[in-house]
Amino acid sequence: MNEEEKKTTEEQDAAQALIANTEEIAESASEQENVVASAPAKEAEDENKIFRKYKIKDIVFLAIMAACMLVTGAIMPLVGQIPVFGIIQVCLGLQFSIFPVIGMMKVRKPGALLFMSLCCGVVLVFMNTVMFVCILICAVIAEGLVLLIFRGYKKDSACLFAGTIYFPVTLPFLYIYYRFLYSWTGEEGQAVNAFIGSSAGMAVGMSIAVLAICFVGALIGVIISRELKKSGVLKK
Amino acid sequence: MALWNKKLYPLVAILAGLFIIVFGLVMARELLACSVFLAAVFVWLLLFGCWKSCLHALPMFIIVAGIFFGIFYGATGTVNSGWAMANRFGAVFLAIVPGMSTTPVRMTRSLSQVHTPRSVTLGMLIAMSFVPMLKGEIKRVREAMKTRGAGSVLNPKILYRAFLVPLVMRLVNISDTLALSVETRGFALGKVRYTIYKREKIALSDVVFVLGLIAGAVLVIVL
Repeated sequence: MNEEEKKTTEEQDAAQALIANTEEIAESASEQENVVASAPAKEAEDENKIFRKYKIKDIVFLAIMAACMLVTGAIMPLVGQIPVFGIIQVCLGLQFSIFPVIGMMKVRKPGALLFMSLCCGVVLVFMNTVMFVCILICAVIAEGLVLLIFRGYKKDSACLFAGTIYFPVTLPFLYIYYRFLYSWTGEEGQAVNAFIGSSAGMAVGMSIAVLAICFVGALIGVIISRELKKSGVLKK
Repeated sequence: MALWNKKLYPLVAILAGLFIIVFGLVMARELLACSVFLAAVFVWLLLFGCWKSCLHALPMFIIVAGIFFGIFYGATGTVNSGWAMANRFGAVFLAIVPGMSTTPVRMTRSLSQVHTPRSVTLGMLIAMSFVPMLKGEIKRVREAMKTRGAGSVLNPKILYRAFLVPLVMRLVNISDTLALSVETRGFALGKVRYTIYKREKIALSDVVFVLGLIAGAVLVIVL
């Protein structure tokens, strides 16, 4: 093989490699195009599902809402020790319904309320362990009711409902706690119950007040979310 | 196992906080015994690297417990009710101390070590470390209100329009930026393998701390 033939063969090999490379690129590009084209379809399909995967942006937003609940609920360890039925819920009802509703209005996925409660509970567990346990149980109950009645958080009314019942559901659990654990040893060594509000009238009155406060809070949350959605700040 | 660690192991701190609050609230009506136990726990926490948080919590406890002692004493006319109340507040403030002494990063590391889901650890980390930032944001919105001459926050209309809406708007923007930043730093929610740069290790001091707490509780019950 003379030098000229050798050169021609090398050039042919290089050309072949170049063609193969171009073909590979073209194939992968068409595959990517298919993926890109099918992505919106897949997203739309996912939107119709009740249980959807969480994204990092969902987790971050819910954690920030939980931090808001924490900051505004910092008085909980103080009011939590006052043995008056429903005092915690009256003092914290507004903030514990506004921020969860905003969270649920943005992240319309089952488990959003439970996740916010969990994040909030990390700090709350030191402040008021009983309330932390109550909040987790009530988040599960509220989520379960929303899934049963509304089949998810697609409707605004579902978020409003969850925000309204989330905190008032803690009332019966706290009643049991105060009734049986809140006492001191009296002069003659007997246990004296410190619980104020064991009368039915007061319990009903406080429950109605808590429900009203939480409803107002949830409504404010929905209104804020709608306004932000309208202005394009709150995207899905 | 390390011999002596200046800071408590984060999971030990969580469990210790839980134990103090539950035991303190249950034993609150055993007035003297509970007070002695809480005082011993305070000294124990001082010795095990939580002295800064202890000193932060102490004035707050004195003020709050003093106020509630006064209220209950005034309402019932017996010292016992106020004393039981002070015990409860003591338990609450002491339970917060181990948690206050643990940084969010250390807590996240140790939770990651015990294979807690990434979404949970990330959420906890953000919720815990976002609190000071949120305070700053609230201050900024209030300053903006003052500059614009918006009026008092006590007016519901002003509270909604000039405080709540701008605050939530700002939070949404921060959350979007933070989410992007988290993603670019390689956080993923799926079953992705990850490594922990600095592992948290349980030390002999943590074991001694826990044993001391348990011994104190047993002594209070027995005696």
